[in-house]
Amino acid sequence: MASFSNLFSPDLIEGISDVLVSAEQIEQRVSELGRAISVDYAGKNPLLVGVLKGVLIFMADILRAITVPVEVDFIAVSTYSPETRDKGLVRLLKDLETPLNGRHVLFIEDVVDTGLTLNYLLSNLRTRSPASLEVCTLFNKSRHRLVDLPIKYTGFDLPDRFVVGYGLDHRERYRNLPFVALLTPQVVHSGRKET
Amino acid sequence: MATHSKNPKTPDHPFAHHIEEEFTRILDYYGIVWEYEPQTFPLEWDDLGNVQEAFSPDFYLPQQNLYIELTTLKPNLTTKKNRKIRRLIELHPEINIKLFKRADLRQLMIKYGLDKEAEKITGNQAQK
Repeated sequence: MASFSNLFSPDLIEGISDVLVSAEQIEQRVSELGRAISVDYAGKNPLLVGVLKGVLIFMADILRAITVPVEVDFIAVSTYSPETRDKGLVRLLKDLETPLNGRHVLFIEDVVDTGLTLNYLLSNLRTRSPASLEVCTLFNKSRHRLVDLPIKYTGFDLPDRFVVGYGLDHRERYRNLPFVALLTPQVVHSGRKET
Repeated sequence: MATHSKNPKTPDHPFAHHIEEEFTRILDYYGIVWEYEPQTFPLEWDDLGNVQEAFSPDFYLPQQNLYIELTTLKPNLTTKKNRKIRRLIELHPEINIKLFKRADLRQLMIKYGLDKEAEKITGNQAQK
């Protein structure tokens, strides 16, 4: 913690215990993924699709690491929560603006955990007849996987721990950390609402 | 007892533990079909062939061909359950089963903002 504690506001890094993946490691891996995607999708003008909000930072970086023409679009869905659990099924909050028919679609995820949201979204996107539909995730947490999904590109396998940073949040906080870190159990289980 | 979800509303079930009901609500929300304790697997027999020990995983997800067992027991109390699962896999290596332990369930509840449910798992309420 001493290595980064002087770079950030104390109230931003409060509750951070250990850095699991450094900013440098992320930068290098994103660059490698970008090169692989550039080779595989050369001449295909792929559409990169991300689900808001966690993917924002990874999407911005992977876009700039890809060296062939690409397009980008975003989708947003409701998440299971105490507020939504009695309202039936997951639903789209923001749909794509780009038709997928005949397009090579690469779904960009920040993290795949249970696979429930991704499964819902892939099922939805498949009905739109894309030419291909693949998944790229920066972080993979397979311990809690309930739906096994084919993932073509994976950045890092993460342990079965609550992590934050580089887009991943805890109660909407910590997304802007440039690295991925563990939270202390006290913060994870605090139940407090962040302001 | 084999019962299917009736999306989008979770029907009333005599769940053994409140965490099971919450788990089915999550599955229902994301459109995952589930069955509650659909099958009992004999694990041990006596010399006469009578079943001495059996195991009924909590859930079966037919689309994923995956059995799920949930436990909120403290880690030092899960020995018997772990042994049953190991025995089940020995007898039926073709079966896919995943155990969600206390910490896994707590993390799942926190992920979905279910703080009260997470606290119940952390606390000393009756364990399943």
